[in-house]
Amino acid sequence: MFASRHERMADVLVGFCAGVREGDLVTLESSTLAAPLLRELYRKVLEAGAQPLPRIALEPLTENLLRYGNDEQLAWVNPARADDIESVDVRIALAAPANTKRLSNVDPVRQARYDRSAEPLRNRYLERAAAGELRWVFSAYPTEAAAQDASMSLAEYEDFVFGAAFLDDPDPVARWQEFGERIDRLAAFLGTKREFRIVADGTDLRLVTEGRTWVPSKGQENFPDGEVFTGPLETSVEGEIRFTYPGVFNAREVDDVRLRFEAGEVVEATATRGQEFLREMIAMDDGARRVGEFAFGLNEAVPMFTRSTLFDEKIGGTMHLALGTAYPETGGLNRSALHWDLVCDLRSGSEVYADGELVYRDGQFLNGSS
Amino acid sequence: MRDPRYDALAELVLDHSLRLQPGDVLRIEGDAAAAAPLVVPLHREAIKRGAHAYTALDLSGLKEILVAQGSDEQLDFVSPIELRELDAIDASVTIWSETNTRSFTRLDTDRRQRQLTAQRQFAIRRRDRIARGEHRWCGTLSPTECQAQDADMSLADYEDFVFRACHVLDDDPVDHWRQVGERLQARAEELGSVRELRIVGEDTDLTVVVEGRTWRAAYGRQNVPDGEVYTSPIETGVNGTIRFGFPAVFVGREIDDARLVLENGRVVAAEAAGGEEYLRSLLELDEGASGVGEIAFGLNYEIDRFTRNILFDEKIGGTMHMALGMGFEALGGQNRSALHLDLICDLRREGEVYADGELVWRSGQFLQDPQPSELAARVR
Repeated sequence: MFASRHERMADVLVGFCAGVREGDLVTLESSTLAAPLLRELYRKVLEAGAQPLPRIALEPLTENLLRYGNDEQLAWVNPARADDIESVDVRIALAAPANTKRLSNVDPVRQARYDRSAEPLRNRYLERAAAGELRWVFSAYPTEAAAQDASMSLAEYEDFVFGAAFLDDPDPVARWQEFGERIDRLAAFLGTKREFRIVADGTDLRLVTEGRTWVPSKGQENFPDGEVFTGPLETSVEGEIRFTYPGVFNAREVDDVRLRFEAGEVVEATATRGQEFLREMIAMDDGARRVGEFAFGLNEAVPMFTRSTLFDEKIGGTMHLALGTAYPETGGLNRSALHWDLVCDLRSGSEVYADGELVYRDGQFLNGSS
Repeated sequence: MRDPRYDALAELVLDHSLRLQPGDVLRIEGDAAAAAPLVVPLHREAIKRGAHAYTALDLSGLKEILVAQGSDEQLDFVSPIELRELDAIDASVTIWSETNTRSFTRLDTDRRQRQLTAQRQFAIRRRDRIARGEHRWCGTLSPTECQAQDADMSLADYEDFVFRACHVLDDDPVDHWRQVGERLQARAEELGSVRELRIVGEDTDLTVVVEGRTWRAAYGRQNVPDGEVYTSPIETGVNGTIRFGFPAVFVGREIDDARLVLENGRVVAAEAAGGEEYLRSLLELDEGASGVGEIAFGLNYEIDRFTRNILFDEKIGGTMHMALGMGFEALGGQNRSALHLDLICDLRREGEVYADGELVWRSGQFLQDPQPSELAARVR
């Protein structure tokens, strides 16, 4: 029988990504714009014998709170959502924005206060996830706003999203498994290395990953997926890096970011646009000026920048650094309210050395690396 | 686009119905798409009032999937998270806006009933908290196309109808509803001293014993719009015949022109021009389903027509309604049932009501204003 893309995507999200089992409590989190996919997810969760718990957001409400709420309201943690984090077995969340710039004019101080209120919940859910008590997957449903950010029509953007997820393939799960095996091999290879040097236009950066874990990211917690990441030693990052793509954080954009590191800390940060915002973010707390994540994007079906981190950090032939908090499973120790992924295109004129040996050139790992 | 009428409705609900206070935790419930025009201003105004407001939103089509293909276990499932959640909130508002009022019509009635029965746990838990004074709740509506369609109106006309009925276009809507409260409270007290009512209308001659029961005035606290006085009659004290000129709509199905014969409080004969079989199946739902749980007078004269929505229909000025099934424990009602089927009888043209033999109502109006009482004045 003919299956719509929504059905196929729901099938892969519920089965392959989240591994929903009988009796699971499963939150389905998104906006009304994702309704066609949410309905298919709801159906698939029921078919798995689990209980779907819809958590539908209305985008303007965050704006209400940030505009009119007092400090106490901004800091309030909803006990019902804390109970979700404590009680559910699976979270399936879909980005489906109606307007990605809705909060552009909100006071960053109030925004930061609101973001901090979500931190205990985020930490708790990462903790339960790390303990294997909670499975989660974050994905995206194509909307006009996201298409506009990607400079595409909605039809083109839908092709991009479903293509990046291999959903037009006769057997998407088989593709993801095969891709996952490749990412596993790459993670194992990188795990044998001590030190990396990245050389590209405006970039010559060294960092140490010895003793840290490279995590293969292959469609379980992000979908689509395709990266391998670790947390570098906190004091090891040295040199400079120029990020090819704009940095996008809280609806604000920073262009042509250049950072210089000494002993793991950013000592110089410039940008052609949004430099002040960049510096504010780096000054947010102690951890914000250190690197929490070092990663390679590996998904060749994500060829271009679309202003959505879920996709941008997976662009095949790129690397990214995140300023701020590290993922505990990598062994990274840096902690911050910030986690800002900045992406650097390595597809032309770039080289990566591992322990002095050339392992990557022009967006590709060389033979023997994976 | 911001519409000041939705803002005014939101403010009425927060200030009059819920009496929202800074620091209150408020849960806003409704369909994410259909109720959005009211959810957004409700949330905004609640935030401005210093409350911790958040939403619990449905997405149309999901419960239909559950009823169509869920297992029995899934139909019976009650979220432990939501049950615990109820205990932590001070106030809630339910917005009964839909995207399609007939989306369950072709699904299996028993399965839908089973799913609704499971969800009643929330209503019961909430009702108990309201009764203990721990929770304030209000049900209201944001006008939608499908509900305009049920009312045989355009959306623009339906919006006018809804906002007029809610009196949110008045200079001071809160003051209007306080005044309604004073009037209806006095009326309820007056009815409280009545032993027996006799209702006479087209194909209708019914006596209802209400002696010892408490009448309640409904003036915008738990419903917006509002405007009725109601009680639960003596369970064995309803006798005679009654014809309900307006269709009854229950779980998306209609019963047209129902006629009932009651003896000692029980329905002994039931017929309807449409949906008769459905009516009979409802009467057989349980022991209490063929008993009377409520008797009431609709007194909102801005609601001047039938719109297939019980929130409005039961308040049509000049009507009375009777509910088969569940009675109101707090008012002395003892009938218990999973059913509460409101049936509306138009008393606007030929209707007469006698209270202990004295004519008190003719052609859709009580003949005399109630005497203001001390209790009624306290509504302010």
